[in-house]
Amino acid sequence: MIRTAKYFFMAMAALLLAAPVYAQDAAAASSKGALYLAAGLGMALAAGLCGIGQGKATASAAEALARNPGARPGIFTFLILGLAFIESLALFTFVIIFIKVQ
Amino acid sequence: MPEQLYLTRFLNAHFAGPVDALLRAFHQAPVYPEAPISNAVAMELLTVVVLLAYFLVVRMTLSVEKPGAFQQVAEMTHEFVSEQADSIISHGFQRFVPYLTVLFLFILLANLLGLVPGLESPTANPVVPLGLAIVTFVYYHLHGIRSNKAAYVKQFLGPVWWLAPLMFLIEVVSHCARVLSLTVRLYANMFAGDLVTLAFFSLIPVGIPLIFMGLHLMVAAIQAYVFMLLATIYLALAVSHEH
Repeated sequence: MIRTAKYFFMAMAALLLAAPVYAQDAAAASSKGALYLAAGLGMALAAGLCGIGQGKATASAAEALARNPGARPGIFTFLILGLAFIESLALFTFVIIFIKVQ
Repeated sequence: MPEQLYLTRFLNAHFAGPVDALLRAFHQAPVYPEAPISNAVAMELLTVVVLLAYFLVVRMTLSVEKPGAFQQVAEMTHEFVSEQADSIISHGFQRFVPYLTVLFLFILLANLLGLVPGLESPTANPVVPLGLAIVTFVYYHLHGIRSNKAAYVKQFLGPVWWLAPLMFLIEVVSHCARVLSLTVRLYANMFAGDLVTLAFFSLIPVGIPLIFMGLHLMVAAIQAYVFMLLATIYLALAVSHEH
C-alpha cells in the first residue's frame, strides 16, 4: 500500500516538473493567476516569519527589562533598531510584490 | 493628467510656467506640461513651510524667563536628539545635532501629513525617502572624510591586507545597500500603512479603519525615529577613529 502511494506521489512529482511544458500554450492566460498566488503566498511567508523574528526579539527584550529595569534606554534603542531591521525584510517582499503585481 | 490634491492644483495653476522653464533648463521634459508639480513635491513644500514657520515662531518667542509652548517642544526635541547622538557618537556629537534634528522633524511631519484628510504623505512616494537617504549617505561620507582624512579608506579595507580587494567590494555594496534599505523601509511602511487603512475601509467603512489610522500614527513616529537612529549610527561608524 505504502509502495503504491510512493509511486503515485513520485509520478505526481514528475508531473509537477512537467507542468511548465503544458503551460507553454496557456502561458499568457495563466501567468496572471500564478502571479497572484505567488504574491499571496510570498507575503504570507514573509509576514509570518517576520512575526516569529519580531516576537523572539520582543520576548528577549521584555525578559532583559524584567531582569534589569535600569537598562531601559539601551534596550529600547536596540529593540527598535532590531525590529526595524527584521521588518524591513518583510517590506522588501512587499515592495517586490507590489512592483510585480501592478 | 495625474490625480491632484487641492494644494497641488493650486501650485500648478500658479507656478506651472516657471517650473516647466526650470525643468527645461536642466533638459528634463515634463510629462504633463500643465501639471509639472507632483503631489509629493507639493506636500514636501508644505512640510518645509510648516517647519520654517515653526522654527521662526520658536526663534521669535525665545525667552529664558517664561518659555512658551513651542519653545518647550523645541527644547524637548533638541534634548531627545542630543541624548541619542551623545550615547551613540559620544565624542563631538554637537556638530551633527542640527542635521539629525531637521531630518527627524521633516520625516515626522511628512509622515503625519498622510493622516490629514485632503493631504497625503510625501514619504509614501519612493522618490522622497530616496532623496533623504542619498543626502544622509553623502553627509556621513563627507564627515567620515573630514574626520579621518585619507585614513577613511581603511574602514573599507578590512583588518587583513590580503583580503582588502574583496573587503572593498563588499563594503561598497553594503554602503549602497544602506541607501536602498533606508529608502525602502520608510517608503514601504508609509505606503503599506495607507494601503491597509484603505483595504479595511473597503471592507467596513465605519469605525474599524480608525484603528489602523491609530496604528499608522505610531508607525509614522517610529519610522521617523528609526531613520534618525540609523543616520546617527552611520555617522558614528564613519567618524569613529580606529586605533
